[in-house]
Amino acid sequence: MAMRIVWHECQKAFKSPILIGLLLLFTAFNVFVIVDNSYFKEELKIANQLVEKYGRKITDESLLQFEKDLQDDLTALKEITGQEYQSVYDFLETLTFEDQNRYSEQEWRFIEQLQLKEMYFSMANDIDASYAKIDIQKVAEGTIAQSRLSGNAEKTLLREYEKFSQRFEEMKQNGEHKEWFFAGKAYFMHSFLFKTVFLHIVIESLMLIILSTALITNYEFENRTQLVTYGTTRGRRLMKDKLGASVAMAALLTTFILVATLSTYFIVYDYSNVWGTSINSAFNWEYNFPNIAWWNLSIGQFLSGTIAIVFITMLLYSGLTFTLTTFVKNSYIAAILMATFFVLALLIPGFMPTSSNLLFITSYSLSLLVLNTASSFMGSSGLIMFKNFEWMTTVCWTMITFVLCIFSLKWFHKKDIQ
Amino acid sequence: MILVKDISKQYGDFTALENINLEFTNGLYGLLAPNGAGKTTLIKMLATLIAPSKGEILYNGKNIVAMDEDYRSLLGYLPQQFGFYKNYTPKQYLLYLAALKGIGKKEALDKIDDLLEKVALREVTNKKMKKFSGGMIQRVGIAQSLLNDPKILILDEPTAGLDPKERARFRHLLTELARERLVIVSTHIVSDVETIANEIIMIKNRQLLYKDSVERICATLDGHVYETTIPYEQLETYRRQFVLLSEKQERGSMVIRFIHKGEAEANWLPLAPQLEDVFLYEYRDDIGEEV
Amino acid sequence: MRVLWNELKKILTWKMLFLLVLLNSVLYFFLIEFDIEHFPNGRPALDSYNIGIEMIEKYGTHMDEEEFLDFKQAYDEQVKEADQYLQSRREFVEAGLVTYEKFKHFDRDNEELNALHSKVMFEEKEVNTFWELQERERLIEFYDMKDELRGYDNAQQKQRMEELIASKKYGVYPEVVIMNFRDFIGNVTIAILFSVVLVISPMILKDRSRQMLALQYTSKKGRNLFKTKILAGLISTFSVITALLIVYFGVYSLNDTSMYFDVPINTFIGNASWYDPTFFQYILLCVAAIYLIGFVFGLLAMSFSSFVPNSMALIGIQIPFIVGMIIVIGGPLMRYIISIWNPQWLAPTVYSGMIVISVIFIILLWRREKNRDIVL
Repeated sequence: MAMRIVWHECQKAFKSPILIGLLLLFTAFNVFVIVDNSYFKEELKIANQLVEKYGRKITDESLLQFEKDLQDDLTALKEITGQEYQSVYDFLETLTFEDQNRYSEQEWRFIEQLQLKEMYFSMANDIDASYAKIDIQKVAEGTIAQSRLSGNAEKTLLREYEKFSQRFEEMKQNGEHKEWFFAGKAYFMHSFLFKTVFLHIVIESLMLIILSTALITNYEFENRTQLVTYGTTRGRRLMKDKLGASVAMAALLTTFILVATLSTYFIVYDYSNVWGTSINSAFNWEYNFPNIAWWNLSIGQFLSGTIAIVFITMLLYSGLTFTLTTFVKNSYIAAILMATFFVLALLIPGFMPTSSNLLFITSYSLSLLVLNTASSFMGSSGLIMFKNFEWMTTVCWTMITFVLCIFSLKWFHKKDIQ
Repeated sequence: MILVKDISKQYGDFTALENINLEFTNGLYGLLAPNGAGKTTLIKMLATLIAPSKGEILYNGKNIVAMDEDYRSLLGYLPQQFGFYKNYTPKQYLLYLAALKGIGKKEALDKIDDLLEKVALREVTNKKMKKFSGGMIQRVGIAQSLLNDPKILILDEPTAGLDPKERARFRHLLTELARERLVIVSTHIVSDVETIANEIIMIKNRQLLYKDSVERICATLDGHVYETTIPYEQLETYRRQFVLLSEKQERGSMVIRFIHKGEAEANWLPLAPQLEDVFLYEYRDDIGEEV
Repeated sequence: MRVLWNELKKILTWKMLFLLVLLNSVLYFFLIEFDIEHFPNGRPALDSYNIGIEMIEKYGTHMDEEEFLDFKQAYDEQVKEADQYLQSRREFVEAGLVTYEKFKHFDRDNEELNALHSKVMFEEKEVNTFWELQERERLIEFYDMKDELRGYDNAQQKQRMEELIASKKYGVYPEVVIMNFRDFIGNVTIAILFSVVLVISPMILKDRSRQMLALQYTSKKGRNLFKTKILAGLISTFSVITALLIVYFGVYSLNDTSMYFDVPINTFIGNASWYDPTFFQYILLCVAAIYLIGFVFGLLAMSFSSFVPNSMALIGIQIPFIVGMIIVIGGPLMRYIISIWNPQWLAPTVYSGMIVISVIFIILLWRREKNRDIVL
């Protein structure tokens, strides 16, 4: 019985052509963003080939083998060009404009492949030196200076960085960073997927969820059917069904966008051999500091974790929107306020004193969690580097949302309906 | 004087009204029909809210749509359902509508006082309308329809939500108003208009059925309305044979009022037909359907 | 008049004004505050800003050859000052950095020298000389290249650049101020766009869903009220834009850029434009563009408001338009409105197109409103 009512409530959102239109438009936009960026997708195959050939782990032996194979390739290059080179880069440097036409397309493909392989090889060789230079203590000091932290805040962060420093050593010991992945500094695949693509997913889902939740919650009052519907046997418990329907719609909308977007992504970009690679791979180093997670997560695990965060957060936002709409009673104002609160949550830590732990406590917000998916589970993410950031934020906000929802349902139960 | 000429209204395949011809002069007209007969459609056309698919409506020979605001400034209209702003007081609300009706503010203020007195809302002049009962809202609606002292007053189900006392007061107000204007009251409650309407208009099957005085409409059933007392067991037989208008129990038997157009039996008491009888008789199919 | 006043009161309610203030406070801290709080943003931006003012005070808004020589002389003198300063400090003398020339080209691999260099550049904030010298060198470099064409994509751009060089409108004044203004005005436009849509959107839908139309359209005013509502909407749009502009430009005045107001846009570094307004005229141009965007989106909001079924659809349908607009505000329609890096016809065409479409849209809706059946 209750299920049937929930289904009826869901239909109210389904029947809104604009909601469906937006969903399709957003999906199309995501597909466009992914395809538009795909000019280098062929080059990504190299990383997959390396895993196939030398195994996921980069060991001294496999590197030696790699070097030998490169020598063979250079010999082949000699056959093509008729000259001996130490590296394909030497060849490219001396190449003149006229010479370019001397080689066939196939030969060019070989040269390009060789160039990429050399790049991966030299990066693999540099790993130890680059990681030896990293001093977590310095990073901590840098973060503290940049954010002008003092007092308790400084102490808290230093303590966390100490833990992270241990984790960093452990990670190096495990050799988690020595696994093949797409070259981060060349392709920025981590940022592209977890920052750009997920940002689209998050913002779009959020907009749809706010709209559909506010629509369902306030539907009776907007259509002046409140006297009829809340006067039925189901009565005000209908509000519970509306909450259920809102959350179900949130799940459905998020799933649709996630599935459509991510399947496009993985069809376009070949991840087939790198699923098992650690997210901490040195190749996943994109900017000043490598991506280092608190746990040894593979790419696949990291992706699943991120999807779980986004999914749960979206359901929570639906619950929060439900509460707000119940109290505000005007779905237009509720939707605007909800969007405003989303941004406000990003700003609040900035208003906190830089000497107080409040700075970190207020950072444990859903907005920051869901907009920073690229650095989820990471210890390399500045002020939200805390090991417990993800699960604490999710658990706390789940509790807050539960309490708010129950409170709003109770409140609605006693409310006069006019 | 309003002339409704050959009006039809269609919504896609659905015909709401067909070839209606009517003439209105001063006085009170009761528009009587069951729900769904096209009453509100006709009323909305008279209020220029809906355009006829065919035909036209003339006021003193001029098309009311073409007359535009000249027509509407003569019009007072109370819709069946109408909106109001919850946070407005009746005074603010009426001032707003007075502005729309082109009434000067000073004039409007006097008029509003006067009208709120008339509909017995004087005490709540400055109370927000969100606290109002349905009857109070309805009375604010009636007050707004009279704001511009209309020559043509159209009221769609005006007594909905009014209690018997308010109803009586309203009937009184209507008679007074109808002396110098054209008042059209749409209703399905016969007693609202029976005693006060100069003419009754009845619509049936999308077409005009009657437009006549109460007496003459009743005369169509002269000599066909009877009352008799029967044992309870015979009730079913009578129901099947005649159009029953009412039935009540009396000392173990049934007293029934019914219509029969043939030969009367000895123990039947002939009665003078009432408007309600005509209504029930004419719309009997609808009644049958409803049961 | 009274009808109009009543409609205005229905749009600009206290609730709406409160929401407007809340939205703008959030957007201010999210988008705009940075360009106010951090202007000039660090160094050498601060020195750039100061030297620019010095140039305007000394040479006016246009520098000729003679004035440039004076500028160079000022540089040489400051180099001498720097030399003296370096020689006066023991640690620099010991490190062998006794002249500015040596200081500039110090050995970056030498950690000791590196530390010394950072100390004077970053830690000793009261020493401006070295930052200023760095900035002056950059400006001199730009002046020296003033007659060169600095890259172009097409013939029109090349022609415009040659035109500018021929008329001696060289890009030699420091650009911090104009860059800051661009960021500022782009973000202000976004805030104003949101504000207008927020305030205007619900008005027409509200009367419809409250079933006010039956009463409104049967009054003397009748369906003409639709036009009054549009007018009220436009007046509200104007008021909202004006009020927000006053507030935001009030805040902008803290950046203290009025000394630059008379400098022609084309004489800022890297700022070649199709037209040649002064900085102040450029500000006015942007303000005019903001009003245009505001009115177009006000009209669109009212149009959508006249036919969508509910307020969620009202927000939903506007999302693609707003997102699209924000993208072009960051580009050719606001931040780079007359820059030669966009085709000359682009901004005027898009603006006229937007105005025409929104006006046609509203006219069509008025025609529809005039004849449509008010069923519910």
